[in-house]
Amino acid sequence: MTSGAGIYFDGRTSARRDVRVTLAADTLHIDGADGRPLAQWRYDDVQELTAPAGVLRLGRHDSATLERLEITDVAFASAIDVRAILVDRTGALQRRQRASVIGWTVAATASLLAVAYFGVPALADRLAPLVPVAAERKLGDAVDLQVRARLDNRHLGAGFACGAAPSERAGRAALDKMMRRLSDAAQLRMPLTTEVVRRREANAVTLPSARIYVFEGLIKTAANPDELAGVIAHEIGHVAHHDGTKAVLQAGGLSLLFGMLLGDFIGGGAVVVAAKTVLQSSYSRRQETAADAYGAALMKKAGGDARALGTILAKIGGATEPGMAILRDHPETRARIAAIDRIAGPHPAHPFLDAADWAALQHICAR
Amino acid sequence: MSSPTANEPTAGGVRFLGTRRDYWRLLSRGAVLLILTLGIYRFWLTTDVRRFLWGNTEIAGETLEYAGTPLELLIGFLAAIAILIPVYAGFFVAALELGPIGEISGLAGFAALFVLGQYAIYRARRYRLTRTIYRGLRFHQEGSAWGYALRAIAWWIATVFTLGLAYPFQLASLERYKMRHTYYGDLAGHFAGSGFGLFFRGLPMWILVVAPVALAVGAFVEAVDWTALGDALSQGGDDVMARIEGGNPALGNVIVFAMLMGGTTVSTAALLYPAFQALVLRWWTSGLRFGAFETRSKLRTAQVYGAYMRFLWWALVFSIGLAIASLPALFVIGLVSDRGTGGEIAATLTALAGYVIAALGYSTIYRATVMLSLWQLGMESLQLSGLSALDTVQARGRASSPLGEGLADALNVGGY
Ligand SMILES: [Zn+2]
Repeated sequence: MTSGAGIYFDGRTSARRDVRVTLAADTLHIDGADGRPLAQWRYDDVQELTAPAGVLRLGRHDSATLERLEITDVAFASAIDVRAILVDRTGALQRRQRASVIGWTVAATASLLAVAYFGVPALADRLAPLVPVAAERKLGDAVDLQVRARLDNRHLGAGFACGAAPSERAGRAALDKMMRRLSDAAQLRMPLTTEVVRRREANAVTLPSARIYVFEGLIKTAANPDELAGVIAHEIGHVAHHDGTKAVLQAGGLSLLFGMLLGDFIGGGAVVVAAKTVLQSSYSRRQETAADAYGAALMKKAGGDARALGTILAKIGGATEPGMAILRDHPETRARIAAIDRIAGPHPAHPFLDAADWAALQHICAR
Repeated sequence: MSSPTANEPTAGGVRFLGTRRDYWRLLSRGAVLLILTLGIYRFWLTTDVRRFLWGNTEIAGETLEYAGTPLELLIGFLAAIAILIPVYAGFFVAALELGPIGEISGLAGFAALFVLGQYAIYRARRYRLTRTIYRGLRFHQEGSAWGYALRAIAWWIATVFTLGLAYPFQLASLERYKMRHTYYGDLAGHFAGSGFGLFFRGLPMWILVVAPVALAVGAFVEAVDWTALGDALSQGGDDVMARIEGGNPALGNVIVFAMLMGGTTVSTAALLYPAFQALVLRWWTSGLRFGAFETRSKLRTAQVYGAYMRFLWWALVFSIGLAIASLPALFVIGLVSDRGTGGEIAATLTALAGYVIAALGYSTIYRATVMLSLWQLGMESLQLSGLSALDTVQARGRASSPLGEGLADALNVGGY
């Protein structure tokens, strides 16, 4: 079958023309009802376009206009299909293309997940040390406002930080003595500031501006000055590693990957939240492990008892252990203690504070 | 070539040639791939959907053709991200620099993104129009996207402050702006619908929805002893609520009344929503003009309710299926959840997959029932006149960039 009827639009006007299509050796001839030639298309250029079932709609690849030829005769349509490479009425070409699209998009998803797990923290590790001190300080100040708002117990009648009242000054002096020994050993690019805040939890918080909030409850939990110094050394580790800045960079990178590239479909919100939580917990666990190692090494360098960090962790960690392992932002306590002990090794320790100073520090929140 | 009737040209009408089954297959395959690719497949699904809807819509004997490609959408999206990253980073730095007044910068950022969203809506419409081909000619759109965005913002503010009463005029004004810059080849479009026409038809619905809220507010103003309330608040402290109740014995009843009225408003709005959609769709499609070519809609409200009934029916079937399928899943979660980290991960993934399947399932059913029906009914209820105006159109306009679509996607303001 080498000729048949068609409908032709020349791409310059909207006129609809009934045409006669003739299939020659290399080209397809389109002639008007009056026999006047309208167009000649090379088979290699002929392209199949989307159309409803029962219509073969053809156009020309790389054509300047949107000229269209429509064929409804089944037998004639397959005669064109045989001649034109880009036309495939069986759908095999389309299925192949779709399969490769599916393959590539699934592969892209897998590689983006790999970027989220390995790439984002690695990139944050490289970028964080390059962030200027001034920017880190500003970030710390911004976080400080929120942290203070969350921690402030002023309505209980006392000030936010301990150590200002006359009865607390001796404790403050003892803390300063401890901090001097630690920061001399640490040699950071930003000066450390430490405050003790009136909170009952045994905890400490570090801001990107090298500000450490030690909770009153932590001092109450510590059996000796070295245990307290160990936790502060761990927190100094967060400062030295720029962990606050890294967390901001990681969160930004994750928001870009999840929520923008990935997870933008109905029901995807839950995937985004779950993926972010799991990944951020995993980043956080890596940072805690690194801070433990730094803290133990710093204690050793400062001549204190590096194992004390482990002994106080055993007391603090136990209470916060239950929950799902993949959602925990700290590594398992026993593993942490074992790692700290490996670093500490056997070495002589010289207590961080004498008995009188330690007694004063324990009453830094006397008022 | 399935049905022999598929290509009998209908002289003056609009027909939809697609079958529900084909659309359903396209959407459900797309939903599975969306999950597997965590959403990256959306560019391909969007293109498939548009090809299906456009390609099966026959106007006066010729079908539309959607000529956009998924890769264009992907590139547009990546370009949009490249623009948005510095914008987001700028907001972050501004918030840091400003310190305590950072919250204001957050608000300004939200407003800026809203304007950008309106800009994206106009640019995305331009992309879709220039990828719409009819009788060998493309549509196109002129006009300024920023001009549109500013108009849209002004109207949104007016609509919010008038509790929605300005909405018909907003729709009319923005549609006039869009249509007067829309062309089929060299044939200029315009919009003939009037804001008043929609306003008076929609007013009864507005009153039915707003009246309960107004009653509740009135009851509050009536019942509350304002001096007592002022005293109670100014004293401060932890027992403010107790003192407010002491000073206003009738307050409890009024709160119950307000909650009842709030419930009435929500359920009335839900029940009237299909009627509202039918009203707007009929009004909008009756006002579209290209030169002497005119459309009139004969859409009946009952048809739109029918589409929602179909949605409810299939949603019910899906819910029952989901409930049955979740029983073995819950059993498996119970078995593995105390088997260490691996069990935890398996349980979490199962629960997450269940949620995603449910959400995507309902949305797929909605698209396959309500959205397809609205398209089909909206098109098939059209009566065309002045068709001869379409016979002598000359080609004009060029394919535009897909950046608008990308921005709309990144800012979540997309349409079809
Ligand atoms: Zn830590």
